[in-house]
Amino acid sequence: MCSYYSFIGLLAQLVLYNCLFASDLSAQEVKSIDEVYVSVDFNNAKIDEAFHTIEAKTNYRFAYERKDLDSKVRLNLESRNSTLKDVLLEISKEASLKFRQINYDIDVQKIKRAENIEDKERIDVYQGGITVSGNVTSSEDNSGIPGVNVVLKGTTTGSVTDMDGNYVIEVPEENSVLVFSSIGFVTQEIEVNGRSTIDLTLNPDVTELSEIVVVGYGTQDKKEITSAVASVTPEEFNKGNITDVAQLLQGKVAGLSITRAGGDPNGGYNIRLRGLSTLGANTQPLVVIDGQAGADLNSVDPNDIESIDILKDGSAAAIYGTRGSAGVILVTTKAGSKRGTNIDYNGYLTIESAARTTPTMSAEEFRSVAPSNRDFGENTDWYDEISRTSVSHTHNLSISGGNESGTSFRASANYRDLQGLAINSDLHRLNARLNLQQRAFNDKLKIDLNIATTNENSDLGWNEAFKYAAIFNPTAPVKTDDPVYDLAGGGYFEENFVDYANPVAMLEQNDNTREIKRMNFMGALEYEFIPGLLGTIRYSQQSETTLRSIYMPKDAYYSTAIDDNPVSRTFSGFTTSGYSRKKNDESFNQLLEIFGSYDTDIADVLNFKLLGGYSWQEFEYFGFLAGGSGFLTDLSADDLNAAAAVRAGSADVDSYKNGSILIAFFGRLNLNYDNTFFLSASLRREGSTQFGEGNKWGNFPAVSLGIDLARLGNLNATTFNTLKLRASYGVTGALPPQSYLSLSTLAPGESSFYAGDLGYINAYEPQRNPNPDLKWETKTEIDIGLDISLFEGRLNGTIDYYNRNTEDLIYEATVPVPPNLNNTTWLNVGTMKSNGLEFTFNYDVFSALEFTSSNFSWNTGINFSTYNIEFEALNAEEGVTFDIPPANLGTPGQEQTQIARVIPGEDLGILWGLTFVEIDEDGKYVFEDLNDDGAIDTEDEGPVGNGLPSFEFGWTNSFTFGNFDLNFFIRGAIGHDLVNTYRAFYENATLATTYNVVKTKYYDPNLNDAQIFSDLHVEKASFVEMDNLTVGYNFQLPSSSSFRTLRLYLTAQNLFMITDYTGVDPEVRYADVQAPDDPDPKLAERGILTPGIDRRNTWVLPRSFTLGLNVGF
Amino acid sequence: MKIMKTQIKNSIYIKIFFIGLMVIVSTQSCTDLDEEQVLYDQVISDEFYQTEEEVLSAVGAAYTPMFGFFQNTNMYALNEVPSDEITVPTRGPDWNDGGHWVRLHRHSWNITDPRIQEAWEWIFGCISSCNRLIALLEPLGTDISEAFIQELRALRAINYYWLLDLYGNVPLVTDFEATEPPATRSRAEVYEFVEVELLETIPNLADTGPTDESTYGRVNRWTAYAALVKLYLNAEVYTGTQQWQKAADAAAEIINSGQYTLAPNWRDNFVKENKGASEFIWAVPYDEVFTPGSFHLPVMTLHQQHQNTYNMSVQPWNGFASVAEFYETFIDPVQNPGPQGDVVGLSPTGDLVTGTQDARLESFIVGPQFDSDGVTRLVDGAAEASDPDGPPLTITPYINELLPGGWRQAGARIGKWEFYNGMGQGLSNDFAVFRYSDILLMRAEALWRMDPGNAEALMLVNQIRERAGVDPFDALTEERFLAERGRELFSEVHRRVDQIRFGTFNDEWWEHPADASDHVNIFPVPQSQLLANPNLVQNPGYPDAGGD
Repeated sequence: MCSYYSFIGLLAQLVLYNCLFASDLSAQEVKSIDEVYVSVDFNNAKIDEAFHTIEAKTNYRFAYERKDLDSKVRLNLESRNSTLKDVLLEISKEASLKFRQINYDIDVQKIKRAENIEDKERIDVYQGGITVSGNVTSSEDNSGIPGVNVVLKGTTTGSVTDMDGNYVIEVPEENSVLVFSSIGFVTQEIEVNGRSTIDLTLNPDVTELSEIVVVGYGTQDKKEITSAVASVTPEEFNKGNITDVAQLLQGKVAGLSITRAGGDPNGGYNIRLRGLSTLGANTQPLVVIDGQAGADLNSVDPNDIESIDILKDGSAAAIYGTRGSAGVILVTTKAGSKRGTNIDYNGYLTIESAARTTPTMSAEEFRSVAPSNRDFGENTDWYDEISRTSVSHTHNLSISGGNESGTSFRASANYRDLQGLAINSDLHRLNARLNLQQRAFNDKLKIDLNIATTNENSDLGWNEAFKYAAIFNPTAPVKTDDPVYDLAGGGYFEENFVDYANPVAMLEQNDNTREIKRMNFMGALEYEFIPGLLGTIRYSQQSETTLRSIYMPKDAYYSTAIDDNPVSRTFSGFTTSGYSRKKNDESFNQLLEIFGSYDTDIADVLNFKLLGGYSWQEFEYFGFLAGGSGFLTDLSADDLNAAAAVRAGSADVDSYKNGSILIAFFGRLNLNYDNTFFLSASLRREGSTQFGEGNKWGNFPAVSLGIDLARLGNLNATTFNTLKLRASYGVTGALPPQSYLSLSTLAPGESSFYAGDLGYINAYEPQRNPNPDLKWETKTEIDIGLDISLFEGRLNGTIDYYNRNTEDLIYEATVPVPPNLNNTTWLNVGTMKSNGLEFTFNYDVFSALEFTSSNFSWNTGINFSTYNIEFEALNAEEGVTFDIPPANLGTPGQEQTQIARVIPGEDLGILWGLTFVEIDEDGKYVFEDLNDDGAIDTEDEGPVGNGLPSFEFGWTNSFTFGNFDLNFFIRGAIGHDLVNTYRAFYENATLATTYNVVKTKYYDPNLNDAQIFSDLHVEKASFVEMDNLTVGYNFQLPSSSSFRTLRLYLTAQNLFMITDYTGVDPEVRYADVQAPDDPDPKLAERGILTPGIDRRNTWVLPRSFTLGLNVGF
Repeated sequence: MKIMKTQIKNSIYIKIFFIGLMVIVSTQSCTDLDEEQVLYDQVISDEFYQTEEEVLSAVGAAYTPMFGFFQNTNMYALNEVPSDEITVPTRGPDWNDGGHWVRLHRHSWNITDPRIQEAWEWIFGCISSCNRLIALLEPLGTDISEAFIQELRALRAINYYWLLDLYGNVPLVTDFEATEPPATRSRAEVYEFVEVELLETIPNLADTGPTDESTYGRVNRWTAYAALVKLYLNAEVYTGTQQWQKAADAAAEIINSGQYTLAPNWRDNFVKENKGASEFIWAVPYDEVFTPGSFHLPVMTLHQQHQNTYNMSVQPWNGFASVAEFYETFIDPVQNPGPQGDVVGLSPTGDLVTGTQDARLESFIVGPQFDSDGVTRLVDGAAEASDPDGPPLTITPYINELLPGGWRQAGARIGKWEFYNGMGQGLSNDFAVFRYSDILLMRAEALWRMDPGNAEALMLVNQIRERAGVDPFDALTEERFLAERGRELFSEVHRRVDQIRFGTFNDEWWEHPADASDHVNIFPVPQSQLLANPNLVQNPGYPDAGGD
């Protein structure tokens, strides 16, 4: 198999090392350069011209790197039948070069210190020598690697492996040293030691893989990138029990925060790039899979991913215009190859258990504080009762291949069967993907067809089970036959208190399932009109159906509010005699893009790429729901017609459909001058139906510049490989999260109007205050960065500083009534500013280079990011400010207790409350009287913390030792606070009349007061966690083996965590999710302005161990 | 030469390619962003109002907000919780809600408090709906549209009446097209507007009775008169000028219309099937199916355990309750002379005592509570250790404290509207915004204010008392008037207005300390409105918007 790396490596090396020639193999007859006579007449000739002349007149070839030739030197030399050696000696003196003859190759090296060099040091001759040949294979799949440079150490003379990885090279001496190098692999040095055959295996190099970076509508060499772009390859992905593609990237990219508190297998991840910079539709980055913009990240399986590239700054994302404000995640899926067929199987088994639960009182402790009538005599650990050691397994099978007639394909099927930590919760997902490519017309035409399907079935369980496990009476039994406590007749112990239910019963009795079916299709035609000019037409669509089914049986006591219900009500199977609800949401989007690009060199040193195109995308969302109560038997749960409510006219029925169209024109120009100066400029003009007439179109320009100071300043090439300074400026936009905001429309309201003889009729009500002036939210970003590569690429790093300014924020503002009809209008109001610093460094502490015999290597990498978001006043004009509602603690009893606020002109993330002083001798709270008025009231509340971290970091370490490899990854977020809502509600023994009591180190037995929220419940939540530890073993297989590769590994996730936080998970909460039972990450966007609240719907934090097997055939 | 040729050829290709691209994309459909092509589940406003029924449906939008009248928010919360008849105690972990319920009862509210903000938005939302519909109907010029306009003007005037009563000085907007944030107008100006609008529209409004389907639930002539009675009766509070005669006259218009009679049984006004009750001048036609979850009373007031009494489909919230001193005005033979018998007393255990047997005691749910079988005692397993009655559920008029540890069983519950088996969050009973017995009491009061010895006044009050089965008064005093209104109109969203008019709103009662200043007699302009509309002026005694 021609692996991706070797293919890219071959391409790259053909470009980069085009001056490197394979040597001619007629060593026996080679003459020494002092035996060869040549006549030359150089008149103001450049050095390379002189070389060409000599090559034309002799059999010798020069091997050199262009950068070593001083382009200012002009040679004037006339010789008649001088020896070649004498000619070279002259050139050596003029051009500060030294030469070494190895058979017919003349290796050219720059002389570092020109003064006082002996002639014999200038010219060196080797003749004869030994022929060495062999085969270079990849340790990844044991296939031959084409394009590997095999170079005699200390020279540029060498050979290149052919398509099968075979090479032949002449070396001057028995003890010569060969250097095998290829982009994407760890370079190795081998001493010849008189051998004539040397086969060897190269290990992939995780630090050097991403030499080709995927950007919007094309790829770029990494060295040409002038904006903040990060690439992550599969080797760097997080290992272990992966439930969501986002998890692969967690902690891997500076500035990319990926969070999910607790261990809900169906819980979505929250993705934030450089914090929050928009209030519009996309607070999470735009996902583009193989060019399909807006695709669902989980429509691709981790095993099918070739690479993930993240466009971080405004200039990189601007090519995606309107949806680029939160960054762009580009996913490239694996393709087939041109040779042979490979079959790969990857599978793993995961065992997961709870690592942290909310600390509450044991039955014994509870007895000591509760009234005696609350003791039911049992000792029940409710966390134990609702959770389990879960066993999950995942399988991936892929077949890839191709043939010489231009067909290549890759087909894969991925199945994961995940058990949740909570009983009766699970996830089954089948992903299947076919990537098919056909080339035709002498490879000028390329046809791509990618089809992917997802079928996912989940038992979601009920998030509230974790809350009730914390607060349910620990002396109560799970089951009872006492009719006083078997309230619903289901045999479970229940009591009728506020916000209280038996967590085992709720999980065992009530069904809460979700089915997702997704189909992604992408078809593309690419035609190369002339070399460098490509035209592409690409069509893609994604359709997705989500069916949520809930059934609460007749004997189930648990009662909950179900989201998106037309009327907010709570449901209980018992009180409604069985409640069934089905909700089907569908989305369909199609994208047509036509674009062309032209890539050419103007003169030798100036490369120029031009891109232009058109994009049309339509989104449709539609669905319906039906729900009803009153079942004769639970067995009819799936037949809504059996619900009495349907007959009585009191069933819930709703449907909806809405959509939007997005059209764009885009263009981009890239210039590369001598690999030293780089320029990229782009413009996207984009229009959306979602804005008012006259404001539909927006322009999103970007420009970025880069200078490689290493080349410009001629810095020592062995120390400074790259020192690229970049600066970029880009404008991106954001769409509103809803359609029709500029239109005045009518629809029936929730309640009907009593119209006399007509009875109740629908009252058509205005749907909003229309805002015909609604326009694009725009974000302007400046990014200054430095890319460095030092010590022959052993140390690589990137440093970025950015400054973002978002204007015309799209926000549903509270407007004055009157003159408005409704109290909110979607407006362009206010600005938000953010800035931050990010850096990433990777260092090969030991590369295999130094430890050839033991094959030991150690690579370490760290990334670090900080950001700071300031929320300017929300105002459209002077003197007007729109109020942003605070976040409240919530039910029960704390509906208007403010715990987080947004204050104009201040940093985002302010947590809010009273300042705790002490608990006095009467057990009453004492708070600070901030305004000294002798009374403690809301006037004494103030900022008590911030929910956003000061900085986040990730630290990766990879070791290889022979066939073993070891990888550990440590991740942390420092400086954020969390409102511990468990403590805010339940850390108070006076509540033992009703609830079990939360007992952390802050618990005070003397407290005898109502629960009053204060900074006592706001905790420092900085954490450092051993996110991932993987030990792997690669079996060395004999060539006779029917396996190509065989690898076993063991991964531990969340081995330990260092934190002072007493809650379940100190993870940063980037958004506030209050809805108790919806795993939909979109819900999170409603709470984006009030981060830092650890709600009671968090699952326990899991720890998992995974045993995995990778096999290649 | 060869190179030159290739380059020329290349550049032609490039041109053809990009020109082709431009041609493709410059066709009309490729740049069409008209949003109506993707509008599916809503109707563009301009395309509605094609049929009479559509027009009626549109007018309905002015009335549907009324379903928000009786909830734990809006009008109900602002008029009842600050009064001496209803309170929402903080019961341990429940009902603290940032302290705003306690602040409401103690008259120490903040300008950010939610009830104050939502009532403003709710009433002005109704007004904007009226303005919008009037602007829509005006160009039609038909008899039907003219009739609707008159009705909507009266409805708008009633909403402005509520605004001037709650907030005093508010903006006065009648033009829907106006987009400038309007400026504050004085209470007197708003008063004048309301009076003029009602007087102008009254002759044009339907003179239908309570059972007439064509106007049931809507504003007719007598609704407008009822609003006028309330406006005039409180004119001294609003403008400083008494209007007793005008109040008495307006009430007489309703009484003399002959459309209304006192229901023989007081309870008839509050039962589940009370549609078209003979005292309903303006009813909100609640229905648990068509106006789901709107009439919140069962969940607002009942104890969690009451779910079993009524087989409710939802768990009640155990919140709103009456104040013991107010309850006492029903059973105290001195304040309320009448036949004596067993009533639930004021002890912490709610024991029976001897007291007045007023039929209107049905307004309260007190005493031992039972399962739906009527026999099995309800048991509250979470009863406080300090609760002298223990877990068996006895609702006591006695409330141990307002904050923080109100017992779960404490406080007489509001049982005035019939609770029925299988009810959910909202009742199907209709609610009378204006009720005939109130008109009688208001006329009586106006007459009595002008002449303390007025015989008709005494007769009217005793008419009400007799129906409740208690003894007639021999003479009227301020205390008796206010107490009688309390007994008759408990929980019907009149108490705050009455207390202000009778001058007791700022007095001390139970856990309400005497107010330092009477600026609390109107509510502040909510902070969010002040911030968003710089033309508003804050009411006296309240902080400006920046008072964070």
